[in-house]
Amino acid sequence: MAKNVDLAQIIIGCKNRDSKCFSQVVDMYASRCYGYFYRLTGNNDLSDELLSELFVKLVEKIGSYKGGSFEGWLFKIASNIFHDYLRGKQRRTKLLDFQKKQLESQITELKQSDNEQIDKLQIQLTRLDTDTRELIMLRFYSQLSFKEIAQMRSEPIGTTLAKLHRGLKKLRELMK
Amino acid sequence: MNDENQENLKELFEKFMDAKQAQKYAEDVQKAEEILRENPAPEPDDMLIANIKAEIAMRLPGRRTYVVEHIGYKLACAAVTIMILAAIGLKLFDNDGGEPDNRYNYANIIPTVIWESDDIAAADANLVIFTAEIEQIEDEVLTLQLGDYDGNGESSVTELEMELIEINNSDFWKG
Repeated sequence: MAKNVDLAQIIIGCKNRDSKCFSQVVDMYASRCYGYFYRLTGNNDLSDELLSELFVKLVEKIGSYKGGSFEGWLFKIASNIFHDYLRGKQRRTKLLDFQKKQLESQITELKQSDNEQIDKLQIQLTRLDTDTRELIMLRFYSQLSFKEIAQMRSEPIGTTLAKLHRGLKKLRELMK
Repeated sequence: MNDENQENLKELFEKFMDAKQAQKYAEDVQKAEEILRENPAPEPDDMLIANIKAEIAMRLPGRRTYVVEHIGYKLACAAVTIMILAAIGLKLFDNDGGEPDNRYNYANIIPTVIWESDDIAAADANLVIFTAEIEQIEDEVLTLQLGDYDGNGESSVTELEMELIEINNSDFWKG
């Protein structure tokens, strides 16, 4: 409860264009949002870029936050940024769905070629489809309830539960 | 990861399946999420966080300046409007408290003397003459009605008739 009150105060400060309050929001959510972007892209540089874009958007859009779950609102922006990135990538390379999967694996390969350390989980995650991977990451990093996630995705909660269970079960098998 | 919003997954799954199956599904989810906890994603670089904060700070004053400028323009527009209205008001009502004169206001073409007079009939010279003529006619009509007319009205008519006969019998009008 106290944390919610603190967060509410910080958000009020952000709406009043207080840079210290924005810094607090960055400290509170940068790690989770970075993890979300990293697990979706598998690329550090890209995650850096998307995280920066997220907080720039936060500054621009904080006035439109009308209460409710702040995490839900923030991760909705994060999700939109990721989808914009995917769309931009698709536009540039004119990929069809089949080629899109190739692109996703290329992201991993690119990172490997950069001699970056890739954990086993990241490799296995690329074997899941984008939607399932995003759902799993949204659930894990946003800490939103299934009801909130279902609302965000504009789908019935049963569908969200089924997709998440199927995806996580597959991930478990891949990780064995 | 400490999940404050962790629902009772079993209860949630029970809405869609029987209790035994719901228990198994809930365990599947929890075990898989445990894998995610055991394999944390890398943390953002400190330099990245510092850059983000610097970028935010850089954007905020710009925004504030914009807001201040925006408010400034609005205030300036409001001030100009008030000044114009005040100037018009002064022009319109600058005779207040002074001696009335015959100058015309911008708002109308009625002389100030008449506009400000309590007795318009006395203040307007044309109206005075016109009123006097009406009163004279009224007096004459009243006199005629009372039969007190002592003029030569009857003879005047006779004279007029004589003149008409004379005109009729002569050819003066033919040139």
